[in-house]
Amino acid sequence: MGRVPAGTSNPVTRRVAIGTLGAGALAWAAWPRQPREHARAPRGRKILHYWEKWTGVEAVSLQRVIDVFNQAQNRLWVVLVPISDISSKAMVAIGGGDPPDVCGLFSYSVPLYAEAGAAMPLDEFPREDWCGEEGYLPNVWKLLTHEGRPWAGVNTCYTLGLYVNRAHLREAGLSESPPRTIGELDAAADALTRTDARGRIDRAGFLPNLPLWWPYSWGVLFDGRLYDRATGRATADDPCNIRALEWVATYPKRFGREAAGAFAQTFSRSTHSPQDPFISGRASMIVQGPWLANFIRAHNPGLDYAAAPVPLADGLPEPDVPRGLVEADVLIIPRNCRDPEASWEFLRFMQRREVQEQLAQAHCKSSPMRDVSPGFFAAHPGRVVGVFDAVARSPRSDALPPTRVWPQYADLLGGAFEAAWRGADVAAALRDVQSRAQRLIDESAALRARRAARGGVP
Amino acid sequence: MNGRPRNLARPARSAGPSAAWLYLAPWLAGFVLFLLVPGAMSAYYAFTDYSLLEPPVWIGAANFAELWRDPLFWKAVRNTAYYAAASVALGSVLALAVAVLLESHVRGRGVARAVIFLPTLVPLVAAALAWSLMYNPEAGLVNRALALVGVRGPNWLGEARWAMPALILMGLWNIGTAMVVYSAALRDVPRALYEAAEIDGVSRLGRLWHVSIPCVSPAILFNVMISIIWSLQVFGAPQIMTEGGPDHATYVYQLSIYENAFRYGRMGYASAMAWLQLLATLGIAGLTLALSRRLVHYRAA
Repeated sequence: MGRVPAGTSNPVTRRVAIGTLGAGALAWAAWPRQPREHARAPRGRKILHYWEKWTGVEAVSLQRVIDVFNQAQNRLWVVLVPISDISSKAMVAIGGGDPPDVCGLFSYSVPLYAEAGAAMPLDEFPREDWCGEEGYLPNVWKLLTHEGRPWAGVNTCYTLGLYVNRAHLREAGLSESPPRTIGELDAAADALTRTDARGRIDRAGFLPNLPLWWPYSWGVLFDGRLYDRATGRATADDPCNIRALEWVATYPKRFGREAAGAFAQTFSRSTHSPQDPFISGRASMIVQGPWLANFIRAHNPGLDYAAAPVPLADGLPEPDVPRGLVEADVLIIPRNCRDPEASWEFLRFMQRREVQEQLAQAHCKSSPMRDVSPGFFAAHPGRVVGVFDAVARSPRSDALPPTRVWPQYADLLGGAFEAAWRGADVAAALRDVQSRAQRLIDESAALRARRAARGGVP
Repeated sequence: MNGRPRNLARPARSAGPSAAWLYLAPWLAGFVLFLLVPGAMSAYYAFTDYSLLEPPVWIGAANFAELWRDPLFWKAVRNTAYYAAASVALGSVLALAVAVLLESHVRGRGVARAVIFLPTLVPLVAAALAWSLMYNPEAGLVNRALALVGVRGPNWLGEARWAMPALILMGLWNIGTAMVVYSAALRDVPRALYEAAEIDGVSRLGRLWHVSIPCVSPAILFNVMISIIWSLQVFGAPQIMTEGGPDHATYVYQLSIYENAFRYGRMGYASAMAWLQLLATLGIAGLTLALSRRLVHYRAA
């Protein structure tokens, strides 16, 4: 231990001081002057930060597109920043005044960001080289706009469809074509479900809680609507939605609530993996998005499957016209971003038909654009993409409700689904959802009016 | 070491209040910037409608009124109270029991202590994912172990009545820190008290009840207080393992705050919830301290 010089109480010796300063100077000299990804940017380029939620193969394909943009011009350089839980982080970053230059969100965020003025309306930018309304599928355009103004660009879209394992259908002596009606679906589910001696489900024919990702979507099968765009009112207790959840409630009754719950829970962490219930052959039919085809290609390419629009209740008008709820990933330009014109240049590039088709093919989705290039379907790796394309284009499909309280509304509908599953009164559960969702919508509208009165965003 | 001990021969020179403030400055800056100011701001936001993306609008006590009639708020309160009561009681008893066992002369107690302490070093996310797999109704270790003794295990995380007990059970995995505190306290109990009790013919259980527990009661109070505070803030495990389900059976208070703040964009509502939680925690802590006056024994130094 060093000796303290006599006559002083200062424990900091000259050697220690010089050593500390030297170490500090060394650290300062060695500290990187810029993030690593900026070092890859050619000198003189303006760097744009693009936040996106995708990871894995989806992020790889997105990076390829960004590389094309970065090579195609010499003014901007886009850096892709993968962000988990992007909705909350974007909210904090934009609200805190330090937004990214372009941000990838879910389409349900558009009404909130539009009403809050947190995104820039795209009609404030020069229209050149942007397709506008004419370029997008009508339901996709609905998702990108709010109260008549466009607030976001699209970044692929999706709907749901019914996948069937054809080998299982053959084995059970059923038609290899996917069920077209609820009655056919129920009959096939009964025929395909296998239970063991202890009553556990060994193979599920079909279960509406597998996976439990879109509990609000079942009304579509009965032509139920969740929102009336004309009046701005929630329609959770629409009789069609009540019928839909009553139908859902028949499944736990037929296959056992505990058995069906345990079966679904078994796969709660294996969706899209080799142990995915459909990919592994433990579920014969499942309602899923178009991307499932991508995971089938990766994990079980020999699976003999087909897909079709979701089956419909008997007696609906135009039963041959597919139904679905269209959702999309979107790109916004946050208010107060550093260079909106530069962000717009990148966003506009992302709206090109060939870019969206490239992403759609990589993600196994259909194109969100109204027109597709002649070779799009031929080159598409998903052999059932035509089904999802038809659903997205269908005049009887709808887009998610355009209300900023949709996340709460969706959670309330999820609660109604669970109530139906445990055998509660479906009509009462949906009436409760209706009243609570409408109150949220009304309160949100009232607060918006107060903000507008104070000079905020109208 | 050589020479005389430093600063012992010479009387310490008072540096004065300015030096004290200088030394306190880093903590004070952190306290003001990261606790006091955000706390004051959240107190203000609790009386506003604030989405983070828009300027707050003053709405008076409307958030509190809405909380009063929000069934999910009460569900979250009930779930959190259930979790806290069960995990504090079971965790305290188990940690004390294990500490007592390991302080007796059993072989391999060092290894056992290390094994019991190890889970506290596992990151919460990794632990939650591992426990999710262990609770898998078909392939999970827990149900397979139960099957070995002829018990058909439930759907732990998928059944409303089992999900919360599953989370509480998982929480018991983390008794290591409390156990170490109890072990240290038990070693501090004067041997003479045990000897005196033994001479008086007190049984082993009697010595535990009449000597050990009163002597370690300050440590029990400390652990209970810390457990109450932490269990009222439980968030990670339910968020990762159940997301509040099934049927809101594990929808705890912090999860509700998080969802309102960052998923629904209702920072004002979430701030109101956070302040209620702070006040409730202070109240419970105060009540615990008041009760402890009669139950906790401090030995004279």
